[in-house]
Amino acid sequence: MHLLEVENLTKRFGGLTALKNVDFHIDEGEMVGIIGPNGAGKTTLFNLISGLLKPDSGAVKLRGENITGLAPHKIVNKGIARTFQIVRPFRHLPVIANVMVALKSPRGARKIEWLKTMERKAADMLEDVGLSELMLEPAENVGHGDLKRLEMAKALATEPDLLMLDEPFGGLNPLETDFLIKSIMRMHLDEPSRGIVIVEHKLYALMQIVERVIVLHQGEKIAEGTPEEIAKNKKVIEVYMGKGM
Amino acid sequence: MRLVKSYLRRAYSSFVAHVFDVPPRFMAFLLFLTLLVLPLAGLDTYYLSMLTYANVIAIFAVSWDLLVGRTGQISLGHALFFGIGGYATGFLSKNLGIPIWVTIPLAVLVGCLTAFLIGFPCLRVKGPYLALITMAFPLIVWRVIKWVPLYPLFGGERGIIGLPSFFPALSGSIVAMNARVQAEYYLTLLVLFVCSVIIYKIANSRTGIVFMSILDDELASKACGINVTKYKLMSFTISGLFATLAGCMFAHLFGRTATPSMFELTLSFIPVVVTFLGGIGTIYGPIVGAYVYAIVDRYFLTILVPKLVDVPPWFQHAKLLIFIFIVLLLIIKWPRGVARFTTDRLEDLEEARDLDERGPRIWKRYKTRKKK
Repeated sequence: MHLLEVENLTKRFGGLTALKNVDFHIDEGEMVGIIGPNGAGKTTLFNLISGLLKPDSGAVKLRGENITGLAPHKIVNKGIARTFQIVRPFRHLPVIANVMVALKSPRGARKIEWLKTMERKAADMLEDVGLSELMLEPAENVGHGDLKRLEMAKALATEPDLLMLDEPFGGLNPLETDFLIKSIMRMHLDEPSRGIVIVEHKLYALMQIVERVIVLHQGEKIAEGTPEEIAKNKKVIEVYMGKGM
Repeated sequence: MRLVKSYLRRAYSSFVAHVFDVPPRFMAFLLFLTLLVLPLAGLDTYYLSMLTYANVIAIFAVSWDLLVGRTGQISLGHALFFGIGGYATGFLSKNLGIPIWVTIPLAVLVGCLTAFLIGFPCLRVKGPYLALITMAFPLIVWRVIKWVPLYPLFGGERGIIGLPSFFPALSGSIVAMNARVQAEYYLTLLVLFVCSVIIYKIANSRTGIVFMSILDDELASKACGINVTKYKLMSFTISGLFATLAGCMFAHLFGRTATPSMFELTLSFIPVVVTFLGGIGTIYGPIVGAYVYAIVDRYFLTILVPKLVDVPPWFQHAKLLIFIFIVLLLIIKWPRGVARFTTDRLEDLEEARDLDERGPRIWKRYKTRKKK
């Protein structure tokens, strides 16, 4: 059984078809990248899977269970966590409390080991992404690169079966990008059964780490395969570079 | 004996650590002590009842602050709970003759239930729409209460009059009356203390963190797996509970009546003004704001100004307006509120003393050892 199955997902915004019959699946322990030019429907796809938007037709299945159109918090508690393209920290709360919010959710609370406090667990999560120095700083005083990592920690706090990262490298400098790549790889090794989906514009960073790439263009899936295959794919090059090359 | 001694010593040392070493708390402690000794210093009963009024308004405003300042769900209809508290306890104690110490918990339960039932549909809308919907409820109830067929139950325009007092034994002579005012003052001070400590604890608990997260970014807390509606409803119910309690106290203390004016729009706006004056989202701010409000309203504008200048007759009706004007002027100067301004200055002083020794006060317990 696949971890996540997306079947014929369609979403229209008025006359605009943002996604048209998108079909793919993700297996346990797989790291998949989703790429595509601006307006290809990547973020819409994320919003549909995580329940922020309701699809017009099609289904999303987690381990065979239909989760289409469930409320966002229910989907998180079923085991799909996501980060946002634009960081959304809780600005008035200290960094550690940001993570504690996620630990307060039913799934997050269940995953806390016996005899371990929520605070301790939150501190551990922050140490994993390298934020323990900034633990008590209000999130409004924290820089953008660190907030990106905080987003990761928040998503990881519920220990999801499927982690969806929406442009995790956006707005990061090469050094921070490298650090984040390393921490994603480490996380992948720590929890080998977790599926990870990454939407990204920075193809260089993405192609290093993913095992499979799905290419979207104007709401349709145009290609799927290993990074090497995708890099040679005529259609993909056409979409990114234009015709007649 | 030795056990008692060791407990006392431990209590003393924790008191020193938690109150004496934190200037804002020490200030609050001093203020509280002052409030405790005021009646003993021979304060006039009029001023004492003014402070009693401040205490009740403070409970009311603190409950509003938990809902709006900490959860971000704007309610402009808190008078609903205030009035329901007054009417429920009045109805039960006057018409059914139940003793006051039973009717108040029952009335609080009624208020809780109302908050729960109203919050369930209301909290699905956001921002200004929520404010407008909540504002409508007390106005509806206001009309229903005054409806003529319900006259035998709620007494129409006049309300339920002649509610029992908290201390029925203290009546008759002037001396007993003075003693009653003092006793009522201490009672409200105690209730205010207990209520604000409970709300402060809730606001800074793990649940309070979730409340704050809803204030900051509702969508992000959903993405963290939080059932936002549940927590909003929780906040609304807790807030309704304490607002109802304030209404109960008010009905039994002032004029001993439950009148339709308890549902008035003015009363919905008092916690708003008071909280903004003291500092929204602080929990202790509204208490300071309530005292300022009571003193300005009941002393400056009622006694001092008419004594100094000849005021026109409409002045009595424009007091809240004048107070709001004063608040607006103060907010220009101190946008984060009077109380928070003071504590910020105190914390600055403290930070100058030991710069990196401590984190934000509330988060002290999560502090880790500094690495060498």
